[in-house]
Amino acid sequence: MHPYSVFSWIETSALSSWIRESPSLWAFPFILILHTVGMGFLVGPNVAMDLRILGFAPRIPLSLFEKFFGVMKVAFVINVISGVLLLIAYPTKALTNPLFYVKLFLIACAVTQTRVIRDRILHDRRWDIGPVAANGKMLAATSIVIWGGALTAGRLLAYTYIHLLAGG
Amino acid sequence: MSPFELWLRSTSLAQLMHTRWAWPTAESLHFFGLSLLMGTVGLFDLRLLGFAKQIPLPALHRLIPWGILGYFINVITGISFFTAEPDQYLYNPSFQMKMLFMTLAGINVLLFYLTMFRHVKTRGPGENAPLPARIMGGASLAFWIGVMTCGRLLTFYRPPFHWCPWCGW
Repeated sequence: MHPYSVFSWIETSALSSWIRESPSLWAFPFILILHTVGMGFLVGPNVAMDLRILGFAPRIPLSLFEKFFGVMKVAFVINVISGVLLLIAYPTKALTNPLFYVKLFLIACAVTQTRVIRDRILHDRRWDIGPVAANGKMLAATSIVIWGGALTAGRLLAYTYIHLLAGG
Repeated sequence: MSPFELWLRSTSLAQLMHTRWAWPTAESLHFFGLSLLMGTVGLFDLRLLGFAKQIPLPALHRLIPWGILGYFINVITGISFFTAEPDQYLYNPSFQMKMLFMTLAGINVLLFYLTMFRHVKTRGPGENAPLPARIMGGASLAFWIGVMTCGRLLTFYRPPFHWCPWCGW
């Protein structure tokens, strides 16, 4: 089956049309707002943790950053759900844009990196107060770059799509 | 279009913003600045509210300069958007609401540093912030979420589909 027929099947579904075409602010605009606020509370605390590892605000006990993982997890779930809804609204727009796959790949890398940082640095009592070893700082610096890359790829989706809908 | 808007659009900044990659780049920076702000000021607000209480408030406050950096990235990119398309913002009710929320957030932060900061900066691990500081923390979160909400709604209230108190008179 040609992928476009799948896209067009999704696009003609009631949910997809409602998100895309409803004049209600609770449709597309609200989902977009959730995706943005969720991003702020997912990328933001991650970058703050990375900055702490890089040596800023050295008196925050690093292990306590795990308290903010709950915030990041809720933000991540909000963004998976809102992201899937945006994808249902515009499957052709997303899935025909190579950058969309770059974004997904970068998110997978970023989440993995955050888990590695938690397991290797936050769980290691040696680094709880004061400076972190150089290889830990490398993990934090790459984390900022990967999250920033994921965010940029997401933002650029609005400017780089090839086809908006299967029909047009 | 008013002479002011025409002048803004004729500036070199406006012309730069209309080049192929300037707008998407500024948008990406605007979202990164937003994340810096939420990751530092937002976490500090959560701590004021009683979240992650084991973190000493003054220690967490040391991340605030990064939030200020995020804020200035967003002021600069924001001014760039405005300069390039002033009519898309001036007469946009969502932009007006966004400015209102930013003003409220600004007044809130000013009040916090004038009245509460000296009490907050002595609070160590496990200690609650004073009640007015907690309220200001909650207000800060609400105002910044308001700013982000109105920012995202801008596209849906572009002129001429708009309402505004001073246009079309």
